[in-house]
Amino acid sequence: MYKTEVRGPLILGDKNYRQISDDVIAPINNPIPGWWKFSFFIALMMGVFGILALYQTVAVGLGTWGVNNSVGWGWEIINFVWWIGIGHAGTAFSIFLLILRQKWRTSINRAAEAMTVVAVACAAIFPAIHMGRVWLAFFIFPYPNTRGPLWVNFNSPLFWDFIAISAYLLISASFWYFGIVPDFATIRDKATSKVKKAVYGFFAFGWTGSSREWLRYEALSYVLGGIAAVLVVSVHSIVSTDFAVSVIPGWHTTVFPPNFVVGAIFSGFAMVMTLMIIIRKMYKFQEYVTDSHLNAIAKILIFISLIMGTAYATEIFIAWYSGSQYEMFTFFKNRITGDYSFQFWAMVVCNAFIPQLFWFKKVRQNLTLAFIISIFINIGMWYERFNILITSLSKDYLPSSWTTYSPTWVEIGIYVGTLGFFAIGVLLFFKYIPMIAISEVKSVLKVTTLNPNDKKHTSHE
Amino acid sequence: MNKTRIVGVFDEENSLMAAVNEVKKEGIEINEIYTPYPMHEVIEAMGKKTRFTTAAFLYGFFGASGVLAFLYYTSVIDWPINYGGKPTNAFPSFIVVTIILTILTVTIASLFTFSARAAIFPGKVYDQPDERSTDDKFVIVFDKPGVEGNVEKLNAILKEKGALEVYEKELNLKK
Repeated sequence: MYKTEVRGPLILGDKNYRQISDDVIAPINNPIPGWWKFSFFIALMMGVFGILALYQTVAVGLGTWGVNNSVGWGWEIINFVWWIGIGHAGTAFSIFLLILRQKWRTSINRAAEAMTVVAVACAAIFPAIHMGRVWLAFFIFPYPNTRGPLWVNFNSPLFWDFIAISAYLLISASFWYFGIVPDFATIRDKATSKVKKAVYGFFAFGWTGSSREWLRYEALSYVLGGIAAVLVVSVHSIVSTDFAVSVIPGWHTTVFPPNFVVGAIFSGFAMVMTLMIIIRKMYKFQEYVTDSHLNAIAKILIFISLIMGTAYATEIFIAWYSGSQYEMFTFFKNRITGDYSFQFWAMVVCNAFIPQLFWFKKVRQNLTLAFIISIFINIGMWYERFNILITSLSKDYLPSSWTTYSPTWVEIGIYVGTLGFFAIGVLLFFKYIPMIAISEVKSVLKVTTLNPNDKKHTSHE
Repeated sequence: MNKTRIVGVFDEENSLMAAVNEVKKEGIEINEIYTPYPMHEVIEAMGKKTRFTTAAFLYGFFGASGVLAFLYYTSVIDWPINYGGKPTNAFPSFIVVTIILTILTVTIASLFTFSARAAIFPGKVYDQPDERSTDDKFVIVFDKPGVEGNVEKLNAILKEKGALEVYEKELNLKK
């Protein structure tokens, strides 16, 4: 339960309702800043590179990639899992904090959900092109077809994955959109230009803010929140079954589902932190995204980092305890030492050790350091997926099929491209959609200013 | 319905609630209240309840049964395939798909229910008593024909409780 005495005020600077609307809408009305145009240009170039690489993949085939018979899943699946992981935080953030009635979520959830939608859309590219003949990707839909009808294999984790990702994309996008509807109405009613009024008016779906609308709106958000909480946990568990259901050493472990879910939330929260630091700095939202908000995210990151460290230790311990020579080989000869030991140690250092710096209050308050650490976490999480995929596949049971893997420019290009698409999506979000949930922030304004004496404490340390 | 309405505009939620309580004590019927953010007191005062959660449960129930039935039909009846000697009715591995598709069904059905019940859909033609209600004002609306004879008293109450403005307007609202 939220207590002002514990967390300090959620919004600083004695705002009133009108100031909140004006502050949040300001980036939409103001001219586009120079840094935005510059970043957009870079992102566009990256996107173009990605499209070229995608074109190459479709036109020539999967032979343009570095994958081979042993390492059948290369960068594409690493990046797929990485993006899905990042895409987890938005929904995890708003939904778990919604269910727990944590009011400090209100100024962050919109951006976190936007990030989710864009990241999951980026992730969805990878399995689609990995099918090889992407124009036949619709075969995976279980519809009555003229091929029998031959149904898909409902027992396959790859099919579960398809269902999970598409459902997740659809649900997180609609949850996000319906959250914005009242804010679109605010923009519509405050707009002075006719075009803006018409465009935002269309997207506001005729919202007026009547009690009849709010009643159902609240009910909808709790229903969606309740069921999507299950989805957040299940989606990445299902992604982990892509690996855990197989018999490859290093993959066939029961720790995978919880490990993947926690890892996903870890990288997602790190990305939320990266984004919120940028938004706060570039749009001067310090009074909404306060130091105390970032402090709270940092503390969550310490906790999750400890879980990650425990999971890594568990895997190593179980490899030894199992007595299976293949598991032992994978962990001790092919991860901790061996060709890919750099990736393993990069993962451990970035995920389990570096975030521990957040124990120090000085580090949590130094936003430059927090920004750098949040980037390191995402690098670490990328290495984690590399470590899981490539080490296990490159050296499995038969030494005759051992091989190495390195990506080609096409694979790198697709990854760079998705980074570009992500940046484009996020930048468009910055410009055209209110970055902070206006109505939700208004609803917590009173809580934070009920007793002016509470403002003296800014944090509970 | 197109009627003349009396619109009271408030600056602050406490004065709005004071007016709402007073008006209700006098037995004057409120048509609708518009607020910039969800207010539970307002929803309670309007005496509105929603059966949304019951509907969502039913969607979930029928969604889950439908998905399981579909999986059974496709895998066991229509085209049974031997996957490594596993039983065709592989119930445990159907659970994952069932959970996800149930969630999807509930979400989509809930969104449509919301759209229908709250009357929020693209291209809606609507009348808004006061545009500032999505920004920073709390707006209360009464039917003029419904408060016939009490108009003076109503205006006095609204003013006394701190309404910034009280005016009359032709509005085409739901009721």
